[in-house]
Amino acid sequence: MTGTADRALAPYLETIPDPLPEGLPAVGHVVAPRSVDEAAAILAIASRHGLSVLVWGGGTHQGYGHPVRSDVVLLTTEMRRVVEWLPDDLTVLVDAGVPVAELTRMLDERSQTPVLPEHPGDATVGGVVAAGISGWGRLRYGPVRDRVLQVVIVTGDGRVVTGGGRVVKNVTGYDLPRLATGSLGSLGVIATVCLKLWPRPSFAASIAVSDPVEALAKAYRPLAVLETDAGSWVYLTGTEAEVVAQARALGGAAEEGLGWPDPLDDPGVVVVRVPPRLTPEAVRRVRSIDGGVRFRAAHGVGEVRVGLVSGDGGPVAVLRRWAESHEGSVVLERAADGWTLDPWGAPPGSVDLQAKVKAAFDPAGVVNPGRLPGGI
Amino acid sequence: MSWVTTDAPTRAELDACVTCGLCLPHCPTFRLTGDETASPRGRLTAMAAVAEGLAPLDATFEEIMGFCLQCRACEAACPSLVPFGRAMEGARAELTAQRPSRVRTVRHWVLGRALAMRRVVAVATFAVAIAQRLRLDRVGAGPLARLRGLRRLPIPPRPTVGRRFPTAASRRGTAALLAGCVMDPWFSDVHTATVGVLTRAGYDVVVPSAQTCCGALAAHDGAAAAAKALAARNVAAFAASDLVVVDAAGCSAHMKEYGAWADEGAAVAARVRDVTELTAELVAAGALPSIPGDGERVAVQDPCHLRHAQRITAAPRALVRAAGYTPVEIDPAAMCCGAAGVYTVLRPDTSRELGVRKAAQVRDAGVEVVVSANPGCEMQLRGLLGASHRVLHPVELYWHALEQEKERS
Amino acid sequence: MSFLDALHAVVGRERVRSQPLELLLFAKDAGVRAGTAAAVVFPETPEETAACVRVAREWGVPVIPRGAGTGLAGGAVPEEPGLVVVMTRMNRIHSVDVAGRTAWVGPGVINLDLSVELGRHGLHYAPDPSSQSACTIGGNVGTNAGGPHCLAEGTTVAHILAVELVTADAEIHILGGEAPDPPGLDLRGVVVGSEGTLGLVTRILVKLTQNPPHVRTLLIAFADVAAAAKTVSDVIAAGIVPAALEMMDREMVRAVENFVHAGFPTEAAAVLLAEVTGFEDGVVAEAGTIARIADAAGANEVRVASEGAERDEWWRGRKSAFGAVAQAAPDYYLHDTVVPRTKLVDVLTDVYEIGGRYGLTMLNVFHAGDGNLHPLVAFDAREPGMLDKVEEAAKEMVRVSVEAGGSLSGEHGVGSEKRDLMPLVFDPVDLDAQARLRDAFDPDGLFNPGKVLPSGSRCADFDYVAAGAVP
Repeated sequence: MTGTADRALAPYLETIPDPLPEGLPAVGHVVAPRSVDEAAAILAIASRHGLSVLVWGGGTHQGYGHPVRSDVVLLTTEMRRVVEWLPDDLTVLVDAGVPVAELTRMLDERSQTPVLPEHPGDATVGGVVAAGISGWGRLRYGPVRDRVLQVVIVTGDGRVVTGGGRVVKNVTGYDLPRLATGSLGSLGVIATVCLKLWPRPSFAASIAVSDPVEALAKAYRPLAVLETDAGSWVYLTGTEAEVVAQARALGGAAEEGLGWPDPLDDPGVVVVRVPPRLTPEAVRRVRSIDGGVRFRAAHGVGEVRVGLVSGDGGPVAVLRRWAESHEGSVVLERAADGWTLDPWGAPPGSVDLQAKVKAAFDPAGVVNPGRLPGGI
Repeated sequence: MSWVTTDAPTRAELDACVTCGLCLPHCPTFRLTGDETASPRGRLTAMAAVAEGLAPLDATFEEIMGFCLQCRACEAACPSLVPFGRAMEGARAELTAQRPSRVRTVRHWVLGRALAMRRVVAVATFAVAIAQRLRLDRVGAGPLARLRGLRRLPIPPRPTVGRRFPTAASRRGTAALLAGCVMDPWFSDVHTATVGVLTRAGYDVVVPSAQTCCGALAAHDGAAAAAKALAARNVAAFAASDLVVVDAAGCSAHMKEYGAWADEGAAVAARVRDVTELTAELVAAGALPSIPGDGERVAVQDPCHLRHAQRITAAPRALVRAAGYTPVEIDPAAMCCGAAGVYTVLRPDTSRELGVRKAAQVRDAGVEVVVSANPGCEMQLRGLLGASHRVLHPVELYWHALEQEKERS
Repeated sequence: MSFLDALHAVVGRERVRSQPLELLLFAKDAGVRAGTAAAVVFPETPEETAACVRVAREWGVPVIPRGAGTGLAGGAVPEEPGLVVVMTRMNRIHSVDVAGRTAWVGPGVINLDLSVELGRHGLHYAPDPSSQSACTIGGNVGTNAGGPHCLAEGTTVAHILAVELVTADAEIHILGGEAPDPPGLDLRGVVVGSEGTLGLVTRILVKLTQNPPHVRTLLIAFADVAAAAKTVSDVIAAGIVPAALEMMDREMVRAVENFVHAGFPTEAAAVLLAEVTGFEDGVVAEAGTIARIADAAGANEVRVASEGAERDEWWRGRKSAFGAVAQAAPDYYLHDTVVPRTKLVDVLTDVYEIGGRYGLTMLNVFHAGDGNLHPLVAFDAREPGMLDKVEEAAKEMVRVSVEAGGSLSGEHGVGSEKRDLMPLVFDPVDLDAQARLRDAFDPDGLFNPGKVLPSGSRCADFDYVAAGAVP
């Protein structure tokens, strides 16, 4: 890093939290902007000086994608205001650094939910949006990108760009909120997010079932149909009468509340994503991995999270070959140090177009460079 | 130059369209082509362009107007209540005035004059009847093959015009029947059924001899002067009738619009009833019985000028039920069968494409009998379905049931 | 070889329109503004579509995609003489995966046809714009179309899993996929709602939705508009997101009733249509709650539709509202703003005030549950000065909506109609970013030029230096 760049960044080095979050890579600088303007200033400096920037929220999904060689780590956790919550309008506007757990707790006071991941850990709203991580409830409510109404992105070259709007329905201009969702920081730093909320239904139950495929076909719009190495459950929400009636129709033992399976704590996790109808086949293939693995399958979604206990790439490669032959993917969510697993597999056919889109936001290629499939 | 006749589409008619496009999927020619120029909205836009002098009334305009079946499905779908059928007749009248051609002149002589001449129709009918006896209509795919859709014509003919059929039941009133240009010689069984049902219900049926062809075909084709002349004759012929019964949907639809075609036409128009609606009402009122039957399935084909132009859908189904059968829906989209009057001759390919589609719907329904309340549709269906299916007017189905019931009791 | 010859070589003479009168019919959509078509072509395959794009690029002619032409914002209107590429002949349902609840369809498939076809599998395609009986799925993708049932189901983009896109270099890309969250940037999400400015969509993978086991539709009449609007806010605030929640004012109800004869209460100042779906117990409970909220707000009457025919008639009435306006006047102009639901009463009051001040005939029909307003002015464009007056009033209405925290368009799209209003909701940096995004797909501006973004959006000067960046 040049001396000029050091001097330019100096004003933003004072706010970093102490201690630093776990797992931060050793880099030249850690910066923690408190506002959109500060974030913009930092990225403008980075673009001008050719410094690559790794964007870091709660650090829970940093295992996604190719490793980023960075000169600067930008922490979003100092931007953490809940700017505006309109309960009667079912929208909330928050800074990216607000922890998901904190937001969920707050909204629960008025029986509302952002339908974000159920076990967020330290994840931030911005991080979950950037990584495009949906909760189990996506079967009923759709993926997280269906909830992002507005984003403010600080682009790689330090522009502050607002896309979308703070109303529940909007087609004014290109859909930047969806583009930003799952972009893994490749366009810039997501600074604020407006989310569409849902009323939390008054009653919930889970039902153990023996055949999740049959249950999915029979159930009317369940919240989730999950299968794990320990069993299968249908999750229902609604009014009590409605849930009880549907549980009876499904013929299982209903248990009040949503007893979600624990998140996988294996040293590595891959996510198998296939067309929803192939979920049972994906489960069959995962179950047949030598030595047995733990997994969490979402029927109707086409997603199976698989726990890895070793860095042996063999089983992953076999799964990936199969998934990719059905237009699916196997994506690495996290890996232990020293494992060398391909994070993405084959890049999509539109990789050149994707590179051009990234360049439109990050012309100098400084934010999370190379992280996306195809090394974009 | 824009319009030159008083028949042209009026500003109010064209203004009524806000170009919302809700008519498009209901238009058979749009369905076939996906082309705006083949859509009701496109046709109205073209008329408006000519009206405002933005475009000439040229061959392109003629083609755009000529492709229309005049089924008026668009009219039934139009929330702006655009009188599309009227506007199209106006546009065609303008084509007649501004783009004279020998072919059209001949055609208009046939539609506007020859059809009204009973001797001409009788000679043609006799020739067709002979051709049928010689089975000429069974040979090849030439022009005579079109006759396959016809009923077997009786020799000698059994005209109704000028006759009077008194009722034997307690008298309800007098109904004047439109004999029609080709209905009388070619579809006399339908008249028999109509007369039979109405006399059973207590109507004296009269068939005034001063009447003539209703003029619908002439009006649709832009032969406005001939259509007006025919309408005027019929208005005079039926002026004294309290009730005018018509058993061809294309004719009843047109006569209900006589207000636009003849002085005093509105008064006659108000007294015109299609036989299906009248009979269904008589059944509903208990003046005619519902016959118990085995509920055999019978397909109902909706003639466009019954369903779209007159918005009559329940009546033919009610008649099928009253005859002891179960009505079967074949086409929820209610698309034209392609017959569309002289369209079948002018644009045989499009006509056939739609007809084949309709025939396939009948076959898919797995029925042996189809009812259709319009002669053109009936011929189209019979021609394409062949001997495997029986095609008849709903009033005939009901009349046969009445007769059988009488024999049984 | 001429441009037309080149097109003839690609698709044959019979699928090209070039006569002046024919071109006139492709000069506009269902909105008010007309443009100029240079030629019209009807491709039947993605490859033919790509070949048309190649011809247009070689001849430097802009490409304007068109579906059924039911758009209201001028999206299919050729702003400059261009090649109108009509997608209606690509109208096959290629495949339906009943278990996976997806279908690949051509862009020319009519929205309602798809749902009718899927009925036998107990499935439907959820977005249901008012023009659904006529509009195409491709057009829906272009505008990210909405509809009454998008309140609970989300607009088109939530139901499109993948698109096949012909880009300006005449390449055919598949963006998105059947599997969830395809790796990389979500270009699918950008293409949906891009109004044909990024490329031509030639195949679409749609998500299908289960038909609900029970439906209950309520028609609620009010003696004043504010009470109806308050009911909408209160229903949402009570934690109910109905399947649909629609409002029509008296003028609108009367026009619609003239067409459908469904027995709408023509004396009421406003009518709400509310629909709840799901399991029977839940449906009954929610319908009861809505009726109670309406009662408390002062409703005159609450009717429940009988299953089937009556419900269908009510919806047919609601969905033919725009067309029915013609009964009041030959032209209409409407906006499509969205406001926070909590501001509905205020904004509606302002909208009526503005209409009254300009002496205009106002009708209102809208997706109340979403806060998606369609204030509609019925007028006769031939009255001197009328169009200017209408546009002035409309602009005021938009401003009121935007000031209440709203947006320009909820479902119709920006097109050419609202293009110049974009600076009301986006600053120059935002618009520049959108222009750069467009350039990434279509650097030469081949597709639908003049739409969505006001001219001059792309500012070369935004070599941006943020405040405080200079040490």
